[in-house]
Amino acid sequence: MAMIEKYKTEHLAKNFQFVLVDKQGNVAESDNTLFNIDVDSQIQDWHPFFENFSDLLSSFKDKLHIDCVHLDSGNTQYITDIDFEKKLDGMLIKVHNLTSYYDNFQTMAQSRNESAIASELIIIKNKEFEERERFKNQFIQNFSHELRNPMMSMMSITNLLAKTDLTPSQKQLLEYVQEGNEHLKLLLEDILSISMISTGRLKLENKTFNLHKLFDLLRFTYANKAKANGLKFDAKIDARLPETAEGDRLRLYQVLTNLLDNALKYTDAGSITFTATLNQKWGNKMNVRFEISDTGKGISTENQKMIFESFSQLNHTNEKDGVGLGLAIVNGLVKLMGSEIKLTSEIDKGSMFYFDLNLKTPITQIKKAPLQKTIKSFAQKSKAAMEKQKILLVEDDERIQTILLKTLIDSGNYHVDIINDGGKVLEQVLDTDYDLIIMDVHLPNTTGNQLARLIRDFPIKKIKNVPIIGITADAFEDNIKGYLKDGMNTILSKPFSDSQLTAAINKYIK
Amino acid sequence: MQKSKKIVLVGHFGVGKTSLIRRFVKNEFSNNYQVTIGVHITKKEVQIEADKSINLIIWDLEGTDDLRTMRPSYLMGSHGAIFVFDVSRPSTFQNLNEDLALVNDRLNKVPLLVVGNKIDLVNKEDLDSLLQEHQISNHFLTSAKEGTAVDSLFTKMAKMVYGHD
Ligand SMILES: Nc1nc2c(ncn2[C@@H]2O[C@H](COP(=O)(O)OP(=O)(O)O)[C@@H](O)[C@H]2O)c(=O)[nH]1
Ligand SMILES: [Mg+2]
Repeated sequence: MAMIEKYKTEHLAKNFQFVLVDKQGNVAESDNTLFNIDVDSQIQDWHPFFENFSDLLSSFKDKLHIDCVHLDSGNTQYITDIDFEKKLDGMLIKVHNLTSYYDNFQTMAQSRNESAIASELIIIKNKEFEERERFKNQFIQNFSHELRNPMMSMMSITNLLAKTDLTPSQKQLLEYVQEGNEHLKLLLEDILSISMISTGRLKLENKTFNLHKLFDLLRFTYANKAKANGLKFDAKIDARLPETAEGDRLRLYQVLTNLLDNALKYTDAGSITFTATLNQKWGNKMNVRFEISDTGKGISTENQKMIFESFSQLNHTNEKDGVGLGLAIVNGLVKLMGSEIKLTSEIDKGSMFYFDLNLKTPITQIKKAPLQKTIKSFAQKSKAAMEKQKILLVEDDERIQTILLKTLIDSGNYHVDIINDGGKVLEQVLDTDYDLIIMDVHLPNTTGNQLARLIRDFPIKKIKNVPIIGITADAFEDNIKGYLKDGMNTILSKPFSDSQLTAAINKYIK
Repeated sequence: MQKSKKIVLVGHFGVGKTSLIRRFVKNEFSNNYQVTIGVHITKKEVQIEADKSINLIIWDLEGTDDLRTMRPSYLMGSHGAIFVFDVSRPSTFQNLNEDLALVNDRLNKVPLLVVGNKIDLVNKEDLDSLLQEHQISNHFLTSAKEGTAVDSLFTKMAKMVYGHD
């Protein structure tokens, strides 16, 4: 015990300084353990902490404790706790050196405060950035809307002009104009999509759709596109994937086609592979991996981050045509669907884009039963309505559209869908089962006979065998023979009468 | 004898209290942030008029985002106070009116100046709308970094506490 007491006294002696001052602040005694304070000097002259000493004296009754005071004199600095104790002849000041304790405390406070400030500043920066982005996107959105109207009228006027009598060289020139228009329109649509995604204006739909039909459409479209580019195309679809899914079909389609188009664009030789795999299924939910890989020229590591940024590509002159907003749209849409687009790539070996998407798989049996019931009861009331045949009318000339529609609807037997863009026919055919297609041979984006050929090649029986009536102003026997060979069942030459049309329809619809 | 008055600098951490004092006393500035713990005390003589001067005993207090945790012993005997906020960080002036009420209460309504520091970091229009939006008045706008309005701040404080007890 005696030893401990001794050590303790030694320790305390080292870390405490006692100073005795009179009521005027004159130093009477000081043990000078920590600082040299001269006897008979004024304590307030030694350190400003003691300034206004008389005020200090009157401000408390017996004792006062003050934490964590930095005291310094000459080269000596300590962080101390200071106690004041009133005595008969003045005041006892006890200075406790706690420097190492407070140093630890300081280190902790330093990191805590620094990270608090840093995170606040990051939030502020992000907000500013987002605001600027929002403004930019809003501006672009308004601007592209403004551009759309004149663009549209320019396009339709050009199309009208194309139908007039033109010399071959005029026709050629007009084709360039049409190509330019088409390119501009796609670009405008891309920019609109991007700005709508960025401003949060784009809302996803949640509807049931046929997943396999979507895959069929992709397989079909891209097998042909790849072939035209001298490439192989492969679609590997997981057989465990259910027939139907719930989600935004249009946007999923947009993402996949953008990725596939991108793969086509940057692959000169080899193959493109589309893979859809069921990662997981639980209850009516599933997680599906979509993967698009190519044997193209690859993307350098530094470019990998940048290619998803909106407008980043606008800064770079692209050696390939197209502005390349496609990937930025993919990035935005996939994010909107709650996933993230990922990429692995190696220069000269190829790239693989992939993302994992949560979709719902409606339990069809439960859903179908009550649906059929309602249809039946409805059918009893209006039998005729239920037995209507479905016709797809593909025609871009509005006058002919109206004439055809009138004939078809007057008969009261048909349900008619109209498309004026040849590029959308395959998608539509995959989505809806038609009993008959009536199709103009001259269409924007593609020709009717080309479409007929594609439809006849289709791997699905119901689609493959649908009757197609072609319409053309062409009177050359050879051309008409060609159309029939391409898969059209019959050709109506303009102008034709109502009865000719009805006869043709009746021939193919029972 | 030379008059001396105790003034305290209060406010959130990292707003530039230590830097303002350093600029005023030593005419120095550093971008490095050294968190103050406890209290540092510095003395500086301020010339108020040709023949009038005063010693300011400046207490640089540990900053906190919750002023209620300020140690009362540091505030004892203060003659004046400077409340500093950081114009680039809203969290430091978000509850300005409550903070000021608390300071007034703790300090028995001694002369008080409100200072928005780091004005070098924001542009003038943003600053004006920010002050208006938060209804901040009776203020000094300073930059310890560039020395803007630092001397006039402390001189103003000196004048305020000179005739005040
Ligand atoms: N840009 C700029 N930075 C400042 C200014 N005043 C202080 N700082 C910086 O802000 C940080 C905190 O300053 P400090 O004086 O320690 O703040 P305190 O915690 O209130 O004492 C330090 O990194 C300073 O360099 C200023 O007027 N302008
Ligand atoms: Mg400080």
